[in-house]
Amino acid sequence: MKESACYIHIPFCDHKCIYCDFYSIITTDNVNSYLNALFKEIDYYSEKYSSTHSFNTIYFGGGTPSFMEPDYIAKIIAYIKQKFTVSDYAEISLETNPGTVDRTKLKNFFEAGINRISIGIQSFDPDELKFLTRIHDKETAITTVESAYSAGLENISVDLIFNLPNQSKEKWQTNLETAVSLPIKHISAYSLILEQGTILNKMVLDGKVKMQSEDYDADLYEFTIDFLCKHEFRQYEVSNFAKDGYQCVHNNAYWRYKDYLSLGTSAHSFMNGERWWNYSSLKMFIAAVENQNNGRVNGERINRLEMIEEYTMLALRSYGLDTLEFIKLFGNDWLEKNSEYINRLIEDGFFIRKNNFIKFTPRGYAVCDEILLNFT
Amino acid sequence: MNQIRNFCIIAHIDHGKSTIADGLLEFTKTVSAREAKEQLLDNMDLERERGITIKSHAIKMKYLHEDKKEYILNLIDTPGHVDFSYEVSRSLAACEGALLVVDAAQGVEAQTISNLYLAIDAGLEIIPVINKIDLPSAMVDTVKSQIVDLIGCDEDDIILASAKTRAGIETILKTVVEKVPPPVGDPNAPLQALIFDSIFDAYRGAIAFIRVKNGTLRERDVIKFFATDKEFQADEIGVLGLTRVRTKELGTGDVGYLIPNAKDVHDLKVGDTITHIKGGAEKPLPGYKEIKPMVFSGLYPTNSEDYEDLRDALDKLKMNDAALLFVPETSAALGFGFRCGFLGMLHMEIIQERLEREYDQSIVTTLPNVEYYVYKKETGEKIIVDNPAEMPVIGDVEFVEEPYIKAQIVTPSEYVGNVMQLSMEKRGVYKNTTYIDPTRADLEFEFPLSEIIFDFYDKLKSTSRGYASFDYEYIGYRESDLVKLDIMLNGEPVDALSVIVHRSKSYDYGRKVCTKLKELIPRHMFEIAIQASIGNKVISRTNIKAMRKNVLAKCYGGDITRKRKLLEKQKEGKRRMKQVGNVEIPQEAFLAVLQLEE
Repeated sequence: MKESACYIHIPFCDHKCIYCDFYSIITTDNVNSYLNALFKEIDYYSEKYSSTHSFNTIYFGGGTPSFMEPDYIAKIIAYIKQKFTVSDYAEISLETNPGTVDRTKLKNFFEAGINRISIGIQSFDPDELKFLTRIHDKETAITTVESAYSAGLENISVDLIFNLPNQSKEKWQTNLETAVSLPIKHISAYSLILEQGTILNKMVLDGKVKMQSEDYDADLYEFTIDFLCKHEFRQYEVSNFAKDGYQCVHNNAYWRYKDYLSLGTSAHSFMNGERWWNYSSLKMFIAAVENQNNGRVNGERINRLEMIEEYTMLALRSYGLDTLEFIKLFGNDWLEKNSEYINRLIEDGFFIRKNNFIKFTPRGYAVCDEILLNFT
Repeated sequence: MNQIRNFCIIAHIDHGKSTIADGLLEFTKTVSAREAKEQLLDNMDLERERGITIKSHAIKMKYLHEDKKEYILNLIDTPGHVDFSYEVSRSLAACEGALLVVDAAQGVEAQTISNLYLAIDAGLEIIPVINKIDLPSAMVDTVKSQIVDLIGCDEDDIILASAKTRAGIETILKTVVEKVPPPVGDPNAPLQALIFDSIFDAYRGAIAFIRVKNGTLRERDVIKFFATDKEFQADEIGVLGLTRVRTKELGTGDVGYLIPNAKDVHDLKVGDTITHIKGGAEKPLPGYKEIKPMVFSGLYPTNSEDYEDLRDALDKLKMNDAALLFVPETSAALGFGFRCGFLGMLHMEIIQERLEREYDQSIVTTLPNVEYYVYKKETGEKIIVDNPAEMPVIGDVEFVEEPYIKAQIVTPSEYVGNVMQLSMEKRGVYKNTTYIDPTRADLEFEFPLSEIIFDFYDKLKSTSRGYASFDYEYIGYRESDLVKLDIMLNGEPVDALSVIVHRSKSYDYGRKVCTKLKELIPRHMFEIAIQASIGNKVISRTNIKAMRKNVLAKCYGGDITRKRKLLEKQKEGKRRMKQVGNVEIPQEAFLAVLQLEE
């Protein structure tokens, strides 16, 4: 059995944040028909894959999964376990927003099988939270972490955003300090991205908001890596930091090019070298499941070159490129072709070579995309 | 012959030449209103978009005059841009009369005057028309007196018209019949027909638009063209309605088309004379000139593999554009490409756009320049330099000459000061002022052509709030204190960015180019030094800091395809850049020097 990952998308939110480009909807109509559709998809794919694939991680992403009743999540977990082999030690994560949960609800999630939560705190600063149109305040954020911990969820991750317009280095440092003072094991620290179609993007285009300079962004980023490292959060991906033993199993599945089956609206799957994705719209997803027992709208078969491109990108963004494994998978022509470039990057301090691994240095992570572009 | 009238319309750009033409065509039922697309005579998409007629065509109308006779009116369209002034002069040579169209709200402009002089030189009967009289801002009386002053006509001779409301359209037709003289010529004399334009038709090959001055031209006649001295057969002959109408012959005074068995337009030179091989005319009609390009620029394929495709595209364009010249050249920065000669900036832009739109070519264009005469020390040898990279080293140069033009600038008098100042900045030499009326001045300057080919017109417009207009003619070469300025990136000279500038402007220019390049060249993984130098002397420098951050923060399940596609797109973008040493230069940087505003 291939160890793989399972992702469940929960599209419901109580409002849309200005920087968000995920598929989400602000109503709880169709919650039950969505559950039925998910069950149908689980049925469909279990017939195809349950004999060849097992799960060692289930991840509820959104949207705002914590917006749902714990029972709703419990039913889904139970159904997956009924239809697939799920490891006893599987990591089962739930994305959570402060303000949607209290201790009791968290306890119920825990009892439903959730053993890791990822809390979308983004910032502890009132002005920044207001700017990001988050519904919570600093106290709620802190209470959410503490309640989760006391409810038995000891594997806690928080999301933070830096490089916000007008964000001073001091404010960012305070955010980081607050975060590391809490009982958490994992931090995702994202530089604010302007995504097309977001409200924020429009605000920037309209000149209402000014993004910070590249140099400032780089300063904050390098500071973040350094700060978190000093507090025992090791960088294991561009934006992800974990205490030893707490790297996210689910994310690592993506980055290590493992198979993953994703269910629900706008979910992307990658199984046996094939990639496909579901309808984004809730109604169209439900209709598709009615018709074809799955929500698939389109897919692609990735050719060797694209596969190399993805594999190297994902590996370099995270744990580094394992050259031995790479040669086993793809042969050695690509590495030979790029060896001069790789050596130069090592000389210039963007890569380090450790045994058979090529890894980014913190400076390298910062210009990762540029470096990837120059591979031939 | 007595019932033929050949005429054209001359006007400043946007004064309504094309809409007047439409009005005439509609009135004479040459086309129905439904057929009359906007600006009928302008066939090319590009022309319609830019609102200017680039290539002239002709159309035949029938008009029943009140004398009960039916007249044939041949309207010959003229290009409306200074780049094509030679072609204008040949179109005028095919006519006996011209409508001088002036916008009622704009009044007489520079191009009105320069085209009028061409028409008067050609001995045409001028029929003044004030167009757009329906506009609220029309100042009919002022414009009337401007025209009276300009051509010395009687105020009552001026036709008031509106192409939009069709007012005055019939009066124009009537006046053309009454005032424009019928063609004169001898039907029994040896054939002399003037080529006033030519096009290339994908199905029929080269087609000439002609005016028969003497004699008769029939199908299957064996003919020759004086300039090329080549022999052809007249395969098809006819007149021009909305489409070509075959008539098999054209008599003295007629305007029409000729399809000889010629493979491209280079055999059909505008201004050339056609005659019969047997019993033909001894001499051509006067006025023929070889077209000479004035502006030069390097055109390079973005991807060097596309060199042959670009050559094919240029070859095809050349088939219907006799003014386009190109020769292969090599640049250290840009690889293999072509040095192209154009009539002017507009012509250059049109060629570039057509290459991109019609031939799907992705090209990098270098800064356009004029042709310089460089005289070498000791030998005194004169070399013609149309590419700054080929300029000899400063120590070997005795002196350099550059082309000059005489410019006519018409401006409301309150902007005379601004125009003067701009002209001084552009190394203009002031010559003379005359007043068209108390509020409008006609200024005469001499300029180096190089100073006016880029942004002069835009600057003139902005310094006069859009009111000043401008036209020019070429007057010859003069000595100037010119130097070659080179640009270096991390110590590597970028030959395609070299320019020849006047010494007095070189420092300012060098500084601006460095600043502009700093803006346009994206950050690299290393620092980039940008330097401007004359000879070995660096006159300006700046640098581009090394890239600090370029990484997408998020990449999870659903993002992977998207991220890969994004990287692929960015890679494609990089491929479109030109690599000099280890620096990648975006294409627009090569033309950026055109927009060197602070």
